[in-house]
Amino acid sequence: MELFLQQLLNGLTIGMVYALIALGYTMVYGVIQLINFAHGEVFMVGAYLTLSAILAFSGFPFWAALPAAFAVSALGSALLGAAIERTAYKPLRGSPKLTALITSIGVSFFLQNAVMLIYGSKEQSVPDIVPPVRFDVGTFSLSLVQIVIFAVATGLMIFLTWFVKNTKTGKAMRAVAENAEAAELMGISPNRVIRQTFVLGSTLAAVGGGLFAIYYGSINFHDGYLAGIKAFTAAVFGGIGSIPGAMLGGILLGVFESLGAGYVSSEWKDVFAFVLLAAVLIFKPSGLLGENLPDKV
Amino acid sequence: MEALRDRLRKSHLARVFLVLFPFALIPLFDKNAYHMDLLATVGIYAILAMGLNVVVGFAGLLNLGYAAFFALGAYAYALLNIHTGCPFWLGLPAAGLVSMAFGLLIGMPSIRVRGDYLAITTLGFGEIVRIAFNNLDAWTGGPNGLLGIDRPTFFGYKFSINATPYVYLTLALVALVAWVLFRLSDSKIGRALVAIREDELAAGCMGVPALRVKLTAFGLSSFIAGMAGAVFASKQTIVSPDSFDFVLSVLILAMVVLGGLGNIWGAALGALVLGILPELLRGFASYRMLLFGVIMILMMIFRPQGILGGQLIRRELGKRKKHAEEEGVDADS
Amino acid sequence: MTHRAAAFLAITALVCVPAAADETVSIGLVAPLTGDQAYIGIGCQQGALMAIEDANVKGPVFGNAKLKLVPLDDQHNPTQAVLAANKLAADPAVAAVVGHFNSSCTKAASAIYHEARLAQVSPASTNPDISKQGFDTFFRVCPTDDVQAPAAASYVAKLGLKRIVILDDQTTYGKGLADQFEKSFKAGGGEVIRREGVTQGEKDFTPLLTKIKSTKPELVFFGGIYPEMALLLRQAKKVGLETEWMAGDGIFDPSLPKLAGPAGEGVYATMLGVDPRSLPDAKDFVARYEARYGEIGSFAAYAYDSANVLIDAIRRAGKNDREAILAEMKKTKDFPGILGPVNFDARGDAVGKSVGIFQVRDGKFQFIEEFKPASSAAPAAAAA
Repeated sequence: MELFLQQLLNGLTIGMVYALIALGYTMVYGVIQLINFAHGEVFMVGAYLTLSAILAFSGFPFWAALPAAFAVSALGSALLGAAIERTAYKPLRGSPKLTALITSIGVSFFLQNAVMLIYGSKEQSVPDIVPPVRFDVGTFSLSLVQIVIFAVATGLMIFLTWFVKNTKTGKAMRAVAENAEAAELMGISPNRVIRQTFVLGSTLAAVGGGLFAIYYGSINFHDGYLAGIKAFTAAVFGGIGSIPGAMLGGILLGVFESLGAGYVSSEWKDVFAFVLLAAVLIFKPSGLLGENLPDKV
Repeated sequence: MEALRDRLRKSHLARVFLVLFPFALIPLFDKNAYHMDLLATVGIYAILAMGLNVVVGFAGLLNLGYAAFFALGAYAYALLNIHTGCPFWLGLPAAGLVSMAFGLLIGMPSIRVRGDYLAITTLGFGEIVRIAFNNLDAWTGGPNGLLGIDRPTFFGYKFSINATPYVYLTLALVALVAWVLFRLSDSKIGRALVAIREDELAAGCMGVPALRVKLTAFGLSSFIAGMAGAVFASKQTIVSPDSFDFVLSVLILAMVVLGGLGNIWGAALGALVLGILPELLRGFASYRMLLFGVIMILMMIFRPQGILGGQLIRRELGKRKKHAEEEGVDADS
Repeated sequence: MTHRAAAFLAITALVCVPAAADETVSIGLVAPLTGDQAYIGIGCQQGALMAIEDANVKGPVFGNAKLKLVPLDDQHNPTQAVLAANKLAADPAVAAVVGHFNSSCTKAASAIYHEARLAQVSPASTNPDISKQGFDTFFRVCPTDDVQAPAAASYVAKLGLKRIVILDDQTTYGKGLADQFEKSFKAGGGEVIRREGVTQGEKDFTPLLTKIKSTKPELVFFGGIYPEMALLLRQAKKVGLETEWMAGDGIFDPSLPKLAGPAGEGVYATMLGVDPRSLPDAKDFVARYEARYGEIGSFAAYAYDSANVLIDAIRRAGKNDREAILAEMKKTKDFPGILGPVNFDARGDAVGKSVGIFQVRDGKFQFIEEFKPASSAAPAAAAA
């Protein structure tokens, strides 16, 4: 039983990070129906920025340095997300979706290599900023880092839910996602909303990246690719375009992967994500919490 | 004479021949082994791009795991050859059939789901195939892959490491695939595909059996990839999972989009450009992939319809406009 | 008349001057220069470059020939490896090749070099199958996995550890090494409780390690490279898995103790020969390398030796002729490499290379013992 709980906990931890990344995918898809391949790289940049910030603030106690590092990384990634939207996607607003997809792949290549050239291609070690405190109950253990991840991720998700429901910007996002033309008629500027969506999504991904960095202790410019694919899978299987779907999808994916690797086989770990996806889509083609929107004729 | 010229103009075979013949002359002037190898590789990419074009360009279905079908064909020929001594010319269609079988298998459930979900499903399939080839070492040699694959023999002439015969082989296949696709685009199925791409619901209302047509596209496209795989395996004489990653799937997709979605020659042109570009950029060493990304972005921003433009629908609209002008009627009514 | 003669002489001189100019002899270097293994490939490139520069400083390798390095990227992809090999083969100035790094790429490219009669020295491909293809153009300066693994296995047996778990990273190198290790270990009477694979690039091994924890192994052997090793070590500590760890030359990099932190203490690794930093020639190379490029990785020294062996063969051949250079390569005897004398057997494998056992102590790899391949039971004396 304890083994199962431990695997569950392992899965929940990474699941939270997947959820944060998945939110970015789902929100952007919601407003402009684009699969933003570069989003995984934004997550990776967030991880690197957090590392740099941690190194810069190394004199300070962790409960001050860590939030500051997250803030710096979030700001940097938000700017990056806005910049990407402005330069690479906005000019293609009227073009077929496939064109924007290819562009996003180009952006992804660009970012990966840019980070590699700036930081070097070796693994970067992240200092253990959070004290390695562990809470053990028998063979079951929970570390302080994991608690930090749970707290931050949950907090952000609660914030996002409140934001989307109650604030003007959040409501505008939902409006544009539902029907961009009608929203424009109601006085909402789709351009501004889209940019805000990118900024918000990138911020979440950046924090996810920071949590990722402190949890694993080493980062590499290739990390965005794998995490990005998994998070995207999670977003789809939760129902693309649905915010609670992305959260649920991310968490469930992390747990499923962990249990799969723990009980079945770890060399097929990556396959589990897709098997899960296939299973869900067969029974519920629009994803777990996705809406079965009929095509309007 | 007029009749002959008219027939030639309309003949797909003639057009294919005219476009590809100059490429056949290149090996006679350029003896550089590296250039020949590059040309043969670009030829394989061209076959792949044209194959993917059937699904993405004609039918409008996003397939992000095309490398998997390429891999299946390559491994199919490799296994057949190693275990049963199957000769290349038999292995070529066999590889196509194996890939096609998987294509239909994957196609059947996937086509029902919404377009963007198809993207992730195919991506997942691509990854699963690659991981499976890497892990199932008893069958596939695992990460080492399979070696000792036979090269083709053509009427007694055995292919060797010299890439020039492969240039002709791929050119012949490009011609064959192009000819088949041109005929397809003129046929009932071709038009059905375009109809589905433009508006699936309307097409359904007009009696187009959407699912069956989409499945046909999937099957054909995977058959083509399988054949390309066999050629690749026979050229490298080694297959390993490293060669069939997601980056390759993305690259082929980029070739199709770059050339112009739905445009048959466009796909081949895209293959030529994106196949040669990384080699040209070799001089930039570590900046190579960075520049590649930038070039991709710029190409999409400045020419989103692709180099040759999405031909099929433009041709249709062009005809409609001309017809309308002749009749003195407003084209948009 | 004199004017015309003078003009004729002048023109002849101008025409002849280019002929008397420097000849360029190129040595190719192919490795992953971009992508996730770029740091290794670039290290090899820098090592080879230093060899070439050192040689050029000493004077022309023959006549008025200057050496040049032609680095090409294969991104550890066999298709690209073949393209790069063809490019080098087609260039008449290329006399020999240092490459590739990954066994899968080296294997794919070796056929091309064989056909082109280009001598190829791999600094790092350890898969035994490569030299079994019968290509007389292939050489390597590193020990193969069927030498490294038995050394590791006998050391584990020496430590008295019998129940172990084996992991590998599902690559040609990692899996090959793990397979060889498993064979040797079982032959020595050991028990392998579990054999599992991990994916290169994966970050989260906690489910796997939690699973292993419950089987209580005495040692875990990992066939793979240091990024995954560091993660395994850290996460093992996190889930409370207490056991010994051992791996091959893939983790022998100063980054490992750094990335793994305190979790890295006590980890064993096998590596070619004794610590390069302890050999006087190597020390000088390491110092010069680090002054120029920063921290040195494990393979720069191998690349340096690979290039130097080739340069020496070119010098003895006296001309940029591939067959002649190849003939000289086969005659290589006790070439003084910085990692020890270089000798090749009939298949091109490095001969007489012993394997060293190292352990991480105080955040650094310390040399413990040396194993000579012939006798697996009798290690040479060393510090304990």
